[in-house]
Amino acid sequence: MKLLVVEDEALLRHHLFTRLSENGHVVHAVANAEEALYQLSQFNHDLAIIDLGLPGISGLELIRLLRAQDHALPILILTARGNWQDKVEGLASGADDYLVKPFQFEELEARLNALLRRASGFIQPTIAAGPLALDLNRKQATLDQAPLMLTAYEYRILEYLMLHQQQVVAKERLMEQLYPGDEERDPNVIEVLVGRLRRKLDGAQGFKPIETVRGMGYLFTERCR
Amino acid sequence: MMRSLRARLMLAGAGLAVLFMLGLLPALQKAFSLALEESIGQRLASDVTTLISAARVEDGRLLMPTLLPDEQINLADSRLLGYIFDRGGRLVWRSRATTEQNINYTPRYDGRGDEFARIRQPDGEEYFVYDVEVKLLGGRSAAFSVVALQPVRDYQLITSSLREDLYLGFGAALLALLLLLYGGQTWSLRALRRLSTELDEVEAGKRDTLSDQHPRELLRLTRSLNRLLGSEREQRGRYRDSLDDLAHSLKTPLAVLQGVSETIAQRPQDREQAHVLQAQIERMSQQIGYQLQRASVRKSGLVRHQVALRPVVDSLCSTLEKVYRDKPVRVTLQIAAQAQVPMERGALLEMLGSLLENAYRLCLGQVCVGLREDVDGLELWVDDDGPGVPPGDRLRVLQRGERLDRQNPGQGIGLAVVEDIVSSYGGQLTLADSPLGGASFKVRLRLA
Repeated sequence: MKLLVVEDEALLRHHLFTRLSENGHVVHAVANAEEALYQLSQFNHDLAIIDLGLPGISGLELIRLLRAQDHALPILILTARGNWQDKVEGLASGADDYLVKPFQFEELEARLNALLRRASGFIQPTIAAGPLALDLNRKQATLDQAPLMLTAYEYRILEYLMLHQQQVVAKERLMEQLYPGDEERDPNVIEVLVGRLRRKLDGAQGFKPIETVRGMGYLFTERCR
Repeated sequence: MMRSLRARLMLAGAGLAVLFMLGLLPALQKAFSLALEESIGQRLASDVTTLISAARVEDGRLLMPTLLPDEQINLADSRLLGYIFDRGGRLVWRSRATTEQNINYTPRYDGRGDEFARIRQPDGEEYFVYDVEVKLLGGRSAAFSVVALQPVRDYQLITSSLREDLYLGFGAALLALLLLLYGGQTWSLRALRRLSTELDEVEAGKRDTLSDQHPRELLRLTRSLNRLLGSEREQRGRYRDSLDDLAHSLKTPLAVLQGVSETIAQRPQDREQAHVLQAQIERMSQQIGYQLQRASVRKSGLVRHQVALRPVVDSLCSTLEKVYRDKPVRVTLQIAAQAQVPMERGALLEMLGSLLENAYRLCLGQVCVGLREDVDGLELWVDDDGPGVPPGDRLRVLQRGERLDRQNPGQGIGLAVVEDIVSSYGGQLTLADSPLGGASFKVRLRLA
């Protein structure tokens, strides 16, 4: 998933960037609201983590601005004070969840996954599509109850397609899931990855959930639950 | 010491008026008596003159007509008595009315002329006497004392009726004066009442400062009160800001340390050290959180807060609904639409937020928030249908920093803060069984 982290404290920003990247997300980490607005206007992020105590434009104002600009992505706020005034105001202005500093990374990861899942309309942390099951918390795919060996990139593509089932997903969106910047963007890489993914999914039963929509992108056709 | 300004002013005003009247009354009476006596004297003098002008002397004897030009002297039952004595003091003539009377009066023919006096008879009756020595009568030399008398009783009747009138008049004047005084005081004291109304408004949070629309005498008071209010508000604002800064500048480094400790924990040989580090970070974080919240939501200041409960509960519920979106929770409110709670909004938000979060986290699917008002004050309760708290553990749960479920990190200070807020408002936090089957947290507050 492609995440935006807005945190002014450099060390914490770096920590979040590193840990979230390690856990298979594409992360943009910025220090203030202006940069966050720029990033969100340029790229499609799946979720934003916003610290409320930003210098200049505050976290709350940033959230209001984003919601006013029709950015629908889930937002998780980080609050240092941890009082209810902040939480109520934060969620009332459009955030979806809060986390009080200091937090354990596992807690953050769990909240992120829950938010991403909900944003795609799933309530359970596992998504099933026919014989295929995806455990979003453990980042593990299984086919007919047997673990499916996927590389990190393959898993990311599969997860993104399944969370956006029944929608045409452009190659560029998938590319954003893999690489943080504009550099090394080669559409062929996606084609190669999707090809490998299809071969791994297509076991004995002829399970072919990923369809190519010519000139546009890919479509996950199997209904997910 | 007398407590009421109005009572003091009324007492002083009434005392002054009574003293004034007590001083004025005898003076007035005296002046009136003098004037009355004077006029009686003049009247008697004119009566004497009438007698003298009617008298004639023939052969050394006094002759008086049977009918005198003065009607009063002719009447048999007249109060006006006339006597004429000769030089030797023998009575030579008396008016008709005197036949009934027996006046013992001896004229003094001593050449001093006219005399106006008061005499007392043995029977106690008093008379005004006007005694004129006549040396010439009808152009001839003569020597008579012409005397006119009038009972003092008439005079006393007049003066006592005057006194009654005076008392009545003064009483009425006193009453009118007191009424005026009362009115004047009401007018003056209205300034104080207005001040008190404004103070009520300040306490109720309807206005920030006292206005300058007060009498000069009060301005010094209102201005220093305003300065006090302003500096208190400013200080509170500054206090809150610096607490925010402190929270941010302490909690963010802790978050960094937490991250570092997690990285260290990934190395098997350092895992134990990392856990020690994490435990300490958790402790620091709890302490900072607890102390900061405690400091920022305690009751303070002049303003007596009243907050509508429903909007606060609603905003908290919509927040928690968002956070616990995966868990269907049915919240029932037993709160009157206009119900108010005598707390500051921030404190109420913290208190209810923690209680509601607890309920949302631990319930199976039902939460109930209610408010009841009785003679002793208010009772606010948050019920859930969760596992509840066994009676033996309740006291411990309410104590600072304790919590039964250590699996949910970061929630430990919630109840401690609730307890702190409640006690800073002089209330009580208790824990009981809820009708829904779980725990019931009850907050008792005295009415402001």
